[in-house]
Amino acid sequence: MDVSLLVAQCMSGLSRGMMLFLIASGLSLIFGVMNILNFAHASLWLVGAYFCYSFWYLMQNHGFGMWVSIPLAALVLAAIGWVIEVVLIRRVYERELPEQLLLTYAMVLILGDLIKLTWGVEDKIIVRPTLVEGPVFFFGIPFDSYFIFVISVGFFVAIGLWWFLQKTKYGHIVRAAVFSREMVSALGIPIPRIYTGVFVLGIFIAGLAGAVQAPVGSITLGMDMAIVVQAFCVVVIGGFGSLLGTLVGSIIVGEVYAFSILFWAKGALVLIFIVTAVILIVRPWGLFGTPMRM
Amino acid sequence: MSGEVILNVENLNKAFGGLQATDNVSYEMMTGELSAIIGPNGAGKSTFFNLITGYHAVDSGKVFFKDRDITNWPPYKITRLGIARAFQVSNIYPRLTTYENVRQATLAQQRRTLNFFTPANRLAKKETMELLEITGLSQQANMISGNLSQGDKKRLELAIALGSKPELVFLDEPTAGMSGEETQETMELVKRLNREIGLTILFTEHDMSVVFGYARRLTVLHQGAIIAEGTPEEVRDNEEAQRVYLGEEA
Amino acid sequence: MEILTKKYWWLGLVFIGALALPLVVGEFWVHVAIEILILGLFAVSFNMIFGNMGQLSFGHAAYYGVGAYATGLLLVRASVPLPICLAASMVAAGICALILGYFCVRLTGIYFAILTLAFGQLLYYIIFQWYSFTGGDDGLQGIIPPGALFSATYYYYFALFVVTGALIAMWYVNESPFGYTMRAIRENADRTRFIGINVRRYMLINFVVAGMFAGLAGGLWGPFNRSIAPDLCNWHQSGIPVFMTVIGGPLGFFGPMIGSIIYTFLMAFVTGFTEYWPLTIGLVIMFVVLFMPGGVLGLVEQKMKVFRSRDLEARGDRSAETERS
Repeated sequence: MDVSLLVAQCMSGLSRGMMLFLIASGLSLIFGVMNILNFAHASLWLVGAYFCYSFWYLMQNHGFGMWVSIPLAALVLAAIGWVIEVVLIRRVYERELPEQLLLTYAMVLILGDLIKLTWGVEDKIIVRPTLVEGPVFFFGIPFDSYFIFVISVGFFVAIGLWWFLQKTKYGHIVRAAVFSREMVSALGIPIPRIYTGVFVLGIFIAGLAGAVQAPVGSITLGMDMAIVVQAFCVVVIGGFGSLLGTLVGSIIVGEVYAFSILFWAKGALVLIFIVTAVILIVRPWGLFGTPMRM
Repeated sequence: MSGEVILNVENLNKAFGGLQATDNVSYEMMTGELSAIIGPNGAGKSTFFNLITGYHAVDSGKVFFKDRDITNWPPYKITRLGIARAFQVSNIYPRLTTYENVRQATLAQQRRTLNFFTPANRLAKKETMELLEITGLSQQANMISGNLSQGDKKRLELAIALGSKPELVFLDEPTAGMSGEETQETMELVKRLNREIGLTILFTEHDMSVVFGYARRLTVLHQGAIIAEGTPEEVRDNEEAQRVYLGEEA
Repeated sequence: MEILTKKYWWLGLVFIGALALPLVVGEFWVHVAIEILILGLFAVSFNMIFGNMGQLSFGHAAYYGVGAYATGLLLVRASVPLPICLAASMVAAGICALILGYFCVRLTGIYFAILTLAFGQLLYYIIFQWYSFTGGDDGLQGIIPPGALFSATYYYYFALFVVTGALIAMWYVNESPFGYTMRAIRENADRTRFIGINVRRYMLINFVVAGMFAGLAGGLWGPFNRSIAPDLCNWHQSGIPVFMTVIGGPLGFFGPMIGSIIYTFLMAFVTGFTEYWPLTIGLVIMFVVLFMPGGVLGLVEQKMKVFRSRDLEARGDRSAETERS
């Protein structure tokens, strides 16, 4: 087997993994703290991608267009996330699982059509600035230079989240809430505010992920459907509420996908789902999750 | 009282984290006994029941029912063998009616729950009504059991346990929440069941008048271990038992 | 139980109405009616797990899809008579449910939901890429109902016959000791263990029976739609019975069927003048979840309770609180 091919696949898997990490980290955080599985997470990711496109489109004539659009889109998504949390999610805190799942599922359907209404059905393409347009060479092997950007963003988000959760007071509160909501509210910290903050953070990252995804290939309707189930797999494999788990899970799924292209092209998703099912059967709380969740 | 050993517990141990909930407990019951286990809160009475009935796994030790090793058997198997229990906090079906609650136990006991095609409303009527009558719940048969009074819920607990037609039954604070009259009715029923059909009964209680009024044998638990055993009078005169109880009952 | 006798008489009317339907409406609405029947059966089978057992399966379409493919393949490749195809669909779906359900029933709550979702997707991808056997994402075309059933009206009566029979069977299961035991498991699984019931095994049996009826529904779908695709197994298809059950009300036997009528009718109506059906149904679901948690049946129950207690109050009866709900 050609070494350069292996390395290329490895990098491709890593890049894909990082993209999945960006999407899944918000999902994992929201579930870990609020116990709500946000089916609409990938839909919001897609909205982020579309907003990024729109901002870029407005700033097309400036070279820095893409670089500004990405954080802008993420901020817009954070605002949208805030509205969704306050208006909708809050109403189902105390409800049973099926109602929470159905609410977020309904959001998937609604968002899908809202995207269609707002941006139409044609694919959107962002033209990348020359810095990240061409290939970059590592040991003579060409890689899409944008991959490097994606991996870096993923890396920084991971570090940022880690720092937030481990080193800041708010992060400690969030981690405590994963273990025991009662304890945290008994300490006088208002749970709804934590929930809102966590949800907004999660959607911000999703928006960022979408915006980062936007310049890769094209933006199409229905991309969210393809990715949401993979994001679920990541969170299941890694473990809900665990940052390390999400990172490891993302890389596993990314690499499985990249490598199975080599010997079983159509079977990538079958493999991923088999792994997911096995984890659910053998260790439902994932590789790094807390068993208490059961 | 026949001379057979119905329950034999040997060196039972169970720890939760650092807490030794059951500490090397050995216990024996003869068929037809009406005995009680007492002890301050946290002494390990419920854990003891949980270990015998398969709710928790034992750390070490063995449980024998009529010479059969039932250690760590799943609860459903143990119930089928002839052991039933009534829980301390009523563990009923709050959204079903009183009648349906008891009938569920009766149908299970009759091994009819895999019946797919006979309407359940036609089955087990006699047995269910009988159980409701002897526990004094016939008036409330069609009431949603969640709306029953505390005392009635405990009676329902008992009715459900009896529905499994057990040979040995564990009653965890059977008269909690009951008025004086209800308490007497319930305990008289317990005594009657013991005498008339030879049901072996082990109960726990905080109400000492009930314990001394009905138990023929008493065991005292403290911090998971047995510290005294014997007839109620013997135990009452036991110094250590007094200390444990008087000390706690400040 | 009073509700039962009340229901018997209007059910009769509904059935007569259903028999008369093709005489009154055009072919388009007959098609809609067939869809209501098939998806309604699918939804009622789903509710055996959801309403009756208390677990949310997000992968019930796996058995629906397996049933569809069993009938489709047998009909197209081997010209097997349709009733035998349908029986085979039930068996195939049942076997799948047995294998997958064995693992699913070890979990509850969100993990059960996710595992059923994962298995549904797994089956979808397997069918999708087993091109040689299933035709992959080309799907299976040319599934023609045999003989007289080619006409929509006759197929409608056939479906009505099969679905009514299946509903009657499921009704009996519901009212049987087994059905009550499943509800007991839903209400208090722990207690149910302590009356001598192997809860896990019962959950598996229920899961298999539910899967078999979903397979039957899938088997009816293929000849109706003339073609099938792997999509029948994915999580969107799994969402349909969930929607229907929630709209109609999960705690009553006919809830999912009512939901099917509302959903299918609404879809036929809405897609007639707009492509934004997902937006519509998404808003409906959101409305039902937020403001009508018991579905249509729940709303009816509430109104009846209020009506009944007002009625009793008017008669000076104080035992309104102890009335059976």
